[in-house]
Amino acid sequence: MRRLISACLSVGRKYELYSMDWDLKEELRDCLVAAAPYGGPIALLRNPWRKEKAASVRPVLEIYSASGLPLASLLWKSGPAVSLGWSAEEELLCVQEDGVVLVYGLHGDFRRHFSMGNEVLQNRVLDARIFHTEFGSGVAILTGAHRFTLSANVGDLKLRRMPEVPGLQSAPSCWTALCQDRVAHILLAVGPDLYLLDHAACSAVTPPGLAPGVSSFLQMAVSFTYRHLALFTDTGYIWMGTASLKEKLCEFNCNIRAPPKQMVWCSRPRSKERAVVVAWERRLMVVGDAPESIQFVLDEDSYLVPELDGVRIFSRSTHEFLHEVPVASEEIFKIASMAPGALLLEAQKEYEKESQKADEYLREIQELGQLTQAVQQCIEAAGHEHRPDMQKSLLRAASFGKCFLDRFPPDSFVRMCQDLRVLNAIRDYYIGIPLTYSQYPQASCKDIYSQLVLRRLYPLAIQICEYLRLPEVQGVSRILAHWACYKVQQKDVSDEDVARAINQKLGDTPGVSYSDIAARAYGCGRTELAIKLLEYEPRSGEQVPLLLKMKRSKLALSKAIESGDTDLVFTVLLHLKNELNRGDFFMTLRNQPMALSLYRQFCKHQELETRGPGCWSGSFSGHLGLLFAAHPRIEGRVAALQTAADAFYKAKNEFAAKATEDQMRLLRLQRRLEDELGGRFVDLSLHDTVTTLVLGGHSKRAEQLARDFRIPDKRLWWLKLTALADLEDWEELEKFSKSKKSPIGYLPFVEICMKQHNKYEAKKYASRVGPEQKVKALLLVGDVAQAADVAIEHRNEAELTLVLSHCTGATDAATADKIQRTRAQAQKK
Amino acid sequence: MAFPHRPDAPELPDFSMLKRLARDQLIYLLEQLPGKKDLFIEADLMSPLDRIANVSILKQHEVDKLYKVENKPALSSNEQLCFLVRPRIKNMRYVASLVNADKLAGRTRKYKVIFSPQKFHACEMVLEEEGVFGDVSCDEWAFSLLPLDVDLLSMELPEFFRDYFLEGDQRWINTVAQALHLLSTLYGPFPNCYGIGRCSKMSYELWRKLEEEEDGETKGRRPEIGHIFLLDRDVDFVTALCSQVVYEGLVDDTFRIKCGSVDFGPEVTSSDRSLKVLLNAEDKVFSEIRNEHFSNVFGFLSQKARNLQAQYDRRRGMDIKQMKNFVSQELKGLKQEHRLLSVHIGACESIMKKKTKQDFQELIKTEHALLEGFNIRESTSYIEEHIDRQVSPIESLRLMCLLSITENGLIPKDYRSLKTQYLQSYGPEHLLTFSNLRRAGLLTEQAPGDTLTAVESKVSKLVTDKAAGKITDAFSSLAKKSNFRALSKKLNLIPRVDGEYDLKVPRDMAYVFSGAYVPLSCRLIEQVLERRSWQGLDEVVRLLNCGELAFTDMTKEDKASSESLRLILVVFLGGCTFSEISALRFLGREKGYRFIFLTTAVTNSARLMEAMSEVKA
Repeated sequence: MRRLISACLSVGRKYELYSMDWDLKEELRDCLVAAAPYGGPIALLRNPWRKEKAASVRPVLEIYSASGLPLASLLWKSGPAVSLGWSAEEELLCVQEDGVVLVYGLHGDFRRHFSMGNEVLQNRVLDARIFHTEFGSGVAILTGAHRFTLSANVGDLKLRRMPEVPGLQSAPSCWTALCQDRVAHILLAVGPDLYLLDHAACSAVTPPGLAPGVSSFLQMAVSFTYRHLALFTDTGYIWMGTASLKEKLCEFNCNIRAPPKQMVWCSRPRSKERAVVVAWERRLMVVGDAPESIQFVLDEDSYLVPELDGVRIFSRSTHEFLHEVPVASEEIFKIASMAPGALLLEAQKEYEKESQKADEYLREIQELGQLTQAVQQCIEAAGHEHRPDMQKSLLRAASFGKCFLDRFPPDSFVRMCQDLRVLNAIRDYYIGIPLTYSQYPQASCKDIYSQLVLRRLYPLAIQICEYLRLPEVQGVSRILAHWACYKVQQKDVSDEDVARAINQKLGDTPGVSYSDIAARAYGCGRTELAIKLLEYEPRSGEQVPLLLKMKRSKLALSKAIESGDTDLVFTVLLHLKNELNRGDFFMTLRNQPMALSLYRQFCKHQELETRGPGCWSGSFSGHLGLLFAAHPRIEGRVAALQTAADAFYKAKNEFAAKATEDQMRLLRLQRRLEDELGGRFVDLSLHDTVTTLVLGGHSKRAEQLARDFRIPDKRLWWLKLTALADLEDWEELEKFSKSKKSPIGYLPFVEICMKQHNKYEAKKYASRVGPEQKVKALLLVGDVAQAADVAIEHRNEAELTLVLSHCTGATDAATADKIQRTRAQAQKK
Repeated sequence: MAFPHRPDAPELPDFSMLKRLARDQLIYLLEQLPGKKDLFIEADLMSPLDRIANVSILKQHEVDKLYKVENKPALSSNEQLCFLVRPRIKNMRYVASLVNADKLAGRTRKYKVIFSPQKFHACEMVLEEEGVFGDVSCDEWAFSLLPLDVDLLSMELPEFFRDYFLEGDQRWINTVAQALHLLSTLYGPFPNCYGIGRCSKMSYELWRKLEEEEDGETKGRRPEIGHIFLLDRDVDFVTALCSQVVYEGLVDDTFRIKCGSVDFGPEVTSSDRSLKVLLNAEDKVFSEIRNEHFSNVFGFLSQKARNLQAQYDRRRGMDIKQMKNFVSQELKGLKQEHRLLSVHIGACESIMKKKTKQDFQELIKTEHALLEGFNIRESTSYIEEHIDRQVSPIESLRLMCLLSITENGLIPKDYRSLKTQYLQSYGPEHLLTFSNLRRAGLLTEQAPGDTLTAVESKVSKLVTDKAAGKITDAFSSLAKKSNFRALSKKLNLIPRVDGEYDLKVPRDMAYVFSGAYVPLSCRLIEQVLERRSWQGLDEVVRLLNCGELAFTDMTKEDKASSESLRLILVVFLGGCTFSEISALRFLGREKGYRFIFLTTAVTNSARLMEAMSEVKA
């Protein structure tokens, strides 16, 4: 490690991340270069068009990890590319000259493309920038007509053409995209003037406190968080201030008039220090709020990548990180530092040497009461170290110091150890994600998995999840699901094998949705695989919609039926109904009785008014016809009944057909009765019709109807009996009773007379009641004495008891006596 | 007289939690639509809602006016409309028509539909077809368990019976599984599960699946309820079809208990107003007579009245201090009891008036004859007469079904003639009713083709009507024994009575049917609990046509306390009757169990028959 200490400039340090052994054939300067932030991958498009070379050689697009491991290499077959950039999701955006943006995945897989509009197409692209906003990643384009077009989020493409800059004849000397208050702006320099473009207007701006004599701006840089802006002028003067151009922070004069190749900010969040790194061909200069600058000599072509807390610098052979030294590290490692952390580190070292100096150092810290602070410093400094041995010694010191503290909450130490393990794991050369500790929380755990998943490093991602003890559903399951989604894209493996492999690995892991994986497989055009995968999906509710989408409606139907979820069956049914023609639809239903019965039920509710019963076969059609028979008009009803009857005949349901025909006959008859006699007959049942006729005094007609419809005698007698009693037409009733022998006996006559409280009439019939029911009849009319006589005559014990229970009061005392005597006699015998 | 619980009877879990849960969820849903809103409630949900949240709670959450969902245009002028409905297509049409009317009038309002207990895709489809899907927001109120009493939970889904057993619609099974899942999360897992019937099996399996998906939550909890028994209604239709003679059942048959409360009309209250009475264990008088055979109830009530009078009379001869005590402490209770007593005496009188007539006696006699399987011919003519006289369409249907089930279907000749008679009495639309009953297996025709039937028809031509009937009886009993008959023998459902059955001190569960019949469903539960499995009941299961559909599932863990092992949750899919509840309560007292009942709805014979009949719209 090289420590750069300058009396005036705050400490800055540079350390090597990786030594690169990528096999670059070209110089970096001959390539279009793009590196993603947060230790992301590097894309190189060799052989760009700006160099006049043999057109026959196709350029090659190569993607490397930050450690220089090749991830992808593909022959560039499209038009000339102007600019490359990485989106926040680590997708490579390649802006072509004609304004078409091609989107590639991390592994060089083509994802999609989109155009930046007609205007861009006509005027060609002069220059393009990819920038990051809160919403995602944006593209800004400078066209040949010196107009700007930008889109703030390529995920949700909305093109915005920026207003014209007045009097702009040539390309601006430099420009950049700014993002402030959630709005993207363009800042450009034309000669000595600066203009700020938002989507409404173009306004000239001047940075406050800019040194005079500037005739042109050569380079400008915006900080990672869009908070600061640096301008490099043709006088070799650097202005640094806020991006809003309201405040100047500092200025520096480097006296180099050559235009720098790159200029980027190098500062860490929440730090007061501001520094800008400027790179020329062979020189690197770090300038800040100090009269002196730090200079490095660049041995070879290098490229700067701005990061949240520093700058990554990579060249053919190395990959380095330059950053401002964190306070904790500075305190500890400053030469002859007396900071508590530094003392603690010393103490621990002495302790390992078994020297008593350890105690002295410790005492010194404790006397100042700074042990807690010392431990905290060591923990924090460990986080900022890149090398594991340094991390270890600092953590060991912290752990040592902790022993002498009564109450030190352990979580910060534990968390740091955990975080460092994760960070070290992903910084590994073979993984190649050189994330720093400051970037780590920014990137958040979730993003680390997704970065690993994007790099197809599933095992490591799973290990990390398990190490951090993340709940399965949040961690491992999701990674497995991603793995499965990747797996289904391997077209060279057979469907069977893929499905089996996925099932073996995933099993019943909670939170993994087989239907999602199947959806991905379907997206890749592997329908058969998708169906196989769906077999593993336990939730039918997820299976069925996808099957429908894949147009496997019949399979969906049987799955839905298997699930027993009627609601799902309905979903499929309604879908099928729209998809198939009627014939096919019914053919499909024919084999699925449950679906058929559901559809019938649905039709009953739903389609009564729209569709006739014609589409059904068999009895059900007849039943529907009967339902239709609630038609308001008689003719409609008769017609509906006729359809029903026909259907019943077809279904060989003779009984129902006959009944339906009878009803038609009855309806017509009722209609005629209404016409002739007045009153209401329609809608009455046969029984009620006859009753109404009897009540209306149309006995003849009633008889006729009874004969026509073959009403059984018993029913007719009951009917007439009730009706006549209701009318209290006793004369007619008596006549009726004598018309022939009653098929229902005479007890009902007695009962009904008593119900109307006509004892006189009741007695008439009581005498005619058959011997079996005589006692009952006599009791009904209240003739207890005679009932007793009959009962005695019958010698029927049950009857005797019945009579006895009716003997009340003094009047019946004699009768009761008589019965008791008879009983006694019977017993004697 | 009322049987006290055995001293070692386990405590029941507290089910009021379910109410609180439902109420909180409803309030949450109402608050999702901030500001004043009008609430449209489906008629079927009104009584259950009333048990959960009263009007003042609704008003607290900015419900302005309440409307009933009916086929009339709504007069609401509110800017926000909220619909609380069952997931039915009819309701969706109603909502859609409202929204479309507003659209025509150029009004924009906010609409929210809350489905209870769950949302069905078909409903959303209808909204979509009507073109209002985007205007309406949908939500679910997972209110599926209403505690009607300390030991009775109802899902209040009377349509379950028709939907599942007639239409073969399995949509509610998911609701049942969800409800069971809720119970197991609240009251711990059930260590022993038994069940019989297709629906039971499906619900059980779905429930298990739900538990697996969300595992971990119930694991390690101590079970509060030791057993669960699931039973399909179609395993035992007979019990549900019998006339009820236990007080609570009689009240249900006569006045219709709706959602745990009953409206007593003027004939009961002996005033000109009708009175709504909540019938549950809190009603001291009712809780003592609910499980009694009706013949005992009147005597009990008069005894009670005398006791009450005696207590009133005590105040004579009290000094001032005692009197003060009496007024402040006892009087209120006495008055309350007095009020309840007069209500139940009124109800009893009213029932007596209706039921002690000869008709009812004959009806019961016929029923018993059917259950015991003698005098079939006589019973058949009784039914025929019943139809001819147009006594009651529902009763006639019930008797026909009872005849069919106990005899394994009607003889083709009877089937045709009874049907014809019925259609003549009540109109041809009942062809649909008969088709429904046939599909549900309630009223079927014996398969013809037996050689015996052929002989029989020849013989019957030669002799008179009556004699032919007798011959038919003889032949049919020769032909095959009905399953019910065999079951009844196997399980000893018809108790042999020597002398009078003492209804005051019942010996077995048969007392709920005057000692004539032990409810099949309850006997099954008793037998399985005794054996702790279906073992040894193979023949019974076969006779029930449930060969594959009886299951037992026991967990080995011995975490369940002996207390919990005597608590049994009985789940009736398709409804249960109060008679069955009374019978099981009796069984519990005898054996030291406590039964908890979960039913899709409390039902009775009339409700079953109504669910099957097709009435003209």
